[in-house]
Parts: sequence; structure tokens; C-alpha cells
Amino acid sequence: MRNRFHEQLEQLNVELIEMGALCEEAISAATKAYLEGDRQLGSRAAYLEQEIDHKERDIEGQCMKLLLRQQPVASDLRAVSAAMRMISDMERIGDQASDIAEIARDMKRSGVIEEVPMGEMARAAIGMVTDSVDAFVRSDLKLAHAVIARDDELDGLFLTVREKLTDLIAQRRDGGLCLDLLMVAKYFERIGDHACNIAQWVEYAITGEYEED
Amino acid sequence: MTKKIFRNCLAVGIWVFLLSVALFMGMLYQYFTGRLTTELENEAALVAQGVETMGMDYLEGLRASNRITWVDQDGTVLYDNTADAATMENHGDREEIREAMLGSQGTARRESATLSQRTVYVAQRLEDGTVIRLAGQQHTVVRLLLSMVQPMLLILAVTLVFTAVLSTRLSRGIIRPVLELDLEHPEENGGVYDELSPLLTRIRRQNDTIQSQIELLRRRRQEFTALTENMSEGFLLLDQKGRVLSYNTGALKLLGAQPPAEEANVLTLDRSDPFRQVVSQVLEGRRCQGRLERNGRSLQLLADPVFRDDACAGAVLVLLDVTEKEQGEQMRREFTANVSHELKTPLTSISGMAEIMKDGLVRAEDIQGFAADIYKESQRLIHLVEDIIHLSRLDEGGADLEKKEVDLLELARTVQERLRPTAGQSGVELEVSGEHQTISGIPSVVEEMIYNLLDNAIKYNRPGGKAAVTVSGAPDGVVVTVSDTGIGIPLEDQNRVFERFYRVDKSHSKEIGGTGLGLSIVKHAAALHNAQVELNSTPGQGTTVRLCFPK
Repeated sequence: MRNRFHEQLEQLNVELIEMGALCEEAISAATKAYLEGDRQLGSRAAYLEQEIDHKERDIEGQCMKLLLRQQPVASDLRAVSAAMRMISDMERIGDQASDIAEIARDMKRSGVIEEVPMGEMARAAIGMVTDSVDAFVRSDLKLAHAVIARDDELDGLFLTVREKLTDLIAQRRDGGLCLDLLMVAKYFERIGDHACNIAQWVEYAITGEYEED
Repeated sequence: MTKKIFRNCLAVGIWVFLLSVALFMGMLYQYFTGRLTTELENEAALVAQGVETMGMDYLEGLRASNRITWVDQDGTVLYDNTADAATMENHGDREEIREAMLGSQGTARRESATLSQRTVYVAQRLEDGTVIRLAGQQHTVVRLLLSMVQPMLLILAVTLVFTAVLSTRLSRGIIRPVLELDLEHPEENGGVYDELSPLLTRIRRQNDTIQSQIELLRRRRQEFTALTENMSEGFLLLDQKGRVLSYNTGALKLLGAQPPAEEANVLTLDRSDPFRQVVSQVLEGRRCQGRLERNGRSLQLLADPVFRDDACAGAVLVLLDVTEKEQGEQMRREFTANVSHELKTPLTSISGMAEIMKDGLVRAEDIQGFAADIYKESQRLIHLVEDIIHLSRLDEGGADLEKKEVDLLELARTVQERLRPTAGQSGVELEVSGEHQTISGIPSVVEEMIYNLLDNAIKYNRPGGKAAVTVSGAPDGVVVTVSDTGIGIPLEDQNRVFERFYRVDKSHSKEIGGTGLGLSIVKHAAALHNAQVELNSTPGQGTTVRLCFPK
């Protein structure tokens, strides 16, 4: 009985890793779609978003089954409940990635894109998502803390981008595009927040303590 | 075991107690019966004497505890001290009376209806033929037992306590040596119990077998680790659930992963899409391969399922670094394309001009000019083929070329002389300076290197510019520096100029001439001499190439 339980927990872990990997792929596809204007990558991001939604439902079902049938306690219970919270954050990351891809598809590209340091934001956001999933995969508390600390960096970048966009709007250059870019920047910033949440759930699963932000 | 011994001991104690009670009771009862009978006989003899002398008066005056009956010869009761004799029936057929009438005495025992009492009768015949009978009451065994219940229970309790204490001690005493057995060294427990020695021998033998098997496994494991650790390829062994059973550091290095936890899933090492696909396919029992990009290197992933009893029991993944191979392939493809292009261009010119001449479309006075062009193009072709031959020889390691002492300054001077006319045409000043330094090298190859570098320094210069060769000694070798004041090489091209046929300015390559193989030859020749090539260039200011030969 217990063996079966551990096998199910293991399976849950594997699925979570897969879902994390899908998120990473979705956001790097969205970023590429944004930076290079690649429409194919944009539709890939949308496809990945659906995959992520499926995965979320799958994992949710598994978690419910585990909770009801096995009634885990202590650290096992924490692992399952952390998993349930993590998938909703991951699902949000997938949504935001596909939103970025959508904006990238519809926006009119111009020189303004080059002037805004969005690449840096994207790199920071992708890095945070990768690290948060790594922290989960390796149960690495230090890495989880590092991810939580990096959120401020991304927030700072968002402010820089916003200022830059304000300047551009003040110069009456591509106002509509600037607003689109602001949205993209906000999405990246949100992705960073979700990565940060994932890291907090990793911390909770390991230590049993949840740090409110 | 302790419990069993304890229980058995206790049972033995209780049985002994019960048996001894039964035996004791039986003997006691026998004894009491005998005593009663003797007493009655004595009393009967006394009463008989009394009756003989005094008759009925004696009986009536007698105060006796037992029942006394006087029976006449015909069996009628003459007297009874507990009942009215007149109402009693004839006693002639009673066993003890009949016995007494026949002999002189008779005894009989009769149980009462309730079995709780037994009556012993003793009859004595008098001189006149009448019989005196005495009856004594005796309790039966059951009554006797019941009357003794209290002391017996006490004894039983004491017995139980004693047995419990003793049997506990006993069982512990028996068990202790068994518990204290040293199973690691079973045969050193000399003289515990003889009965245990076959068991201990057996354990010792099994210990030995286990030890040797563990040793064997350890050695196998070491061999396996040595084997996998020393291969440059990454190696992963998975079970059917995708857990990592075994891995080598090569795999971790190639994937850029950290050592996995015990029994961790392989996806903890890498979770990229191609990797996941390969893993899921191979665990379904299909062999497959994939390609990954990791840390700027291309990895080939080969996956083979492991079958046991017709079911997929796991998988072997091998990771190969194919970066160099892919680059090599890419370079070969480019080289072939370039060579054919470079060979075709002069040939097209030659063939075109020859065709016009053949068709007689050229005036006689122009033929010389055409011939000069044809000559120039064929010379270019010859140079190209020579360079390619040269390069391929260097590629093969220049095995047929002999190394000897080479004075680099002398060599630089020779090159300077050879290039003086070209330099003169381009208006470039040549300068060779430095000290005499010798290295061990292949003279023709080293000369070719300096020639190519200086040739470039002249070609990519501007009129009135300068090209200089300096030979100097360094702590760990000799450095030849070729510098110019020419057009320089843009930063993004600096890494690629050593590639075959790579030209920075593709559109003007024909005017400048050259085959595009010069620096490639320098690179290969330097590798042949274990020399380092360093390139420093600022666009618009000039280029400096340093050749560092080891001593």
C-alpha cells in the first residue's frame, strides 16, 4: 500500500517536472516570438499553453486522488498540497506566455522594440522560472531562496522599462506599440512573481514554512 | 522460546502437584479405612465380651459413639442403639452378618446413596450364635478432598509462585547463551550448546558465501564504474519507471546537470522537450535518438531499451558530443562548395576566352592580351591547386616533411626578398628586424607561414603603408610578429579569417587576388609546429599577427 503511494508521489513529481519544462518552453517560445517576430513560435506558445492546461487538470486529479485515497500526513501531505498550489502558478505562467505571444503576433513592429530592454526582462523571467523548477526538482532550498530574492531585480527592470516607455510616449513615438510593450513587460513581471510563488511552495514543501510576501 | 520453556515448566509443576495430591489422597483414604476397621474390630470384640457376660443390660448401659446392633441367630434384630429394634427388618442376609455367622467375624463396606459417606460394618459372632455388629461412618474421598481444599489451595499458590520464579530463571538461563551468540563469528562461540554447533557451522559457511559474493559485486561495480567513468561519452542507465540506476560524470557534464538524488527520475537531470520525447519513447521499448543543444554544444542522444522476459525493463542512454563532428561536416561541405567555386571561376574565364579565340572572333593584335589573361587565370588556378595540395598535406600532419634547425630571422629576410617586387607595386614599405632565433621546424612550411602573413600584410594595406616582421625571443619560445598599417579586420570576422576560403570582403576578392587559403595554411602549419597564432586587429589601423613557437 505504502509502496503504491510512493510510486504515485514519484509519478506526481515527474508530471510536475514535465509541466515545469512545458512552462519554460512556452515562455522561451513567446520571448523568441516577441524578439524575432516569429509567428510559428507564437502559435507554438499557444499550443503549449493548452498542453499546460491539460497537465494542470491531470495533476490536480492525481493530487485529489492521493489526498482522498491515501490520506497522506506530514511531509507527504505538504508535498501534495504544495504541488496543487504550484500547478496553478505554472498554469498562470503558461497563460501569460501565450498572452505575450499573442501581443507579439498582433503588434506593429518598429524601431521602438530595439530601444526597450525587454530582452533583459525576458532573460530574468526565464531564468527565474528555470531556477524555480530546478529548485523543485532538486529540493534545493538555497536555489529557491535565490529565486525569491531575484524577484526584486525583475521588478526593478519593469520600472526601467516603464520609464523608457513613458519617455517614448512623451516623444509621441508609436504610442500604441508602447502600450503593447508595457503589457508585455507587465506579463514578464507577473511571470517572475509566479516563479517566486513556485519557489515559496518549494520552500514550504521542504521546511513546512510558508513565507507570505 | 523463553515463554515456551516457562509455560512447560509451569505445566510440569501443576501436573506434579495434581498427581501427588491424587496419590496422597488415595493413600490417606486407604489408611483411614484400615484404621476405622481395626478400631471397629477392637470395639466389637469388647462389646461382644460385655454382652456375653452381662447380656442386654450391658448394651443398654453402654454409651457408644458408633452404631451397635445385636442380631439374633435367625437374623431378627434384638437391639439397636440408634433405632427401635422391633421395627427393623431381618438382617440375616447382610453380607457382614452372614460372614460372621459362617466364621467368627465379618466386615463389609457400603456407600450411601449420595456417595458422600461410606459405612464400614464389622460383625462378631457370640458364643450363643448371635451377632454383634458395629457400624462406623467414614467420609468418602470427595468429602475428604473438600475438607482439605483450603490448605491445598495454599500449597497450590505457593507451588505456582515457586514454579513461576524457578521456571523464569531456568528459561532465561537456557536462553541467555543463545542470545549472546556472536553470529558474525559463529564458530568462536565454543561450548555453548553442542546441539547448536551444526547450525553455527552452517551460519559461518553462509557468512563466508555472502562475504565473497559482496566482494564480487563490489569488484564488478568498480570495474563498471571504471569503465563508464573513463569514457568521454555520457552514460545513463534507467529502470522501467525512468529512475536513474547508474550514470557517469560524463553524462552530468554534458547535460550540465547536478548529481541526481538516489532513485531520482531521469527528468531531474534534463527536462527539455527532445530529451523527454526520447525518454518516453525508449521506455515504451523503441530505440530512438535525439539531438540536444546544451551550453552551446550539440549532443547526440542514443537510447536503447533493455528487455527482460519480453518486457521493457529499462533503458540505456548514451550521450555523444557531436559539436566537432557537426562543425567538421559543416566545414567540409563549405570547403567542397568553395573549392568547386574557386576552381570554376578561372576555368570559366579561360574557357570563355579560348572559345572566342577559337571562333576567330578576336583580332590578331588582341590575341596577346587574351593569352596574357588566360595565362594569369591559369596561374591563379595553379596557385589554388598548389595551396589545396599544401593544405591537405598539412592536414595529414606533414609526415613526409623533415624538421631541422631554422633561423627565423634569416627566413624572414628571404621572404622579404621574395615579396619586394609585390611590395614595390603596392607602395608598401617592408621592414624585418629582431634577433637571430632558431627553432626546430620544417623550413619550407615556416617560410610559407611568414610568406602568407607578410603577403596579406602587403595586400590588405594602403599605399604608403608599412609591413613589418619582428623576430624576438620570449621566455618560453620565439615570437614572430607580422604587423601592418592596413585596413584591419572587423571584430566579427576575426574568428573566421582562419577558415578556408573565408574572405572578409567578398566583393573585392578578385581584385586583391589570393586563394582565401593563406591564413588557413598558417593555422595548420602552426598546429604542426605546436605554435600559437594570435590575431589582433583594429579596423582602419592595421593588423598584428603573432606566431609563438615553443622552444
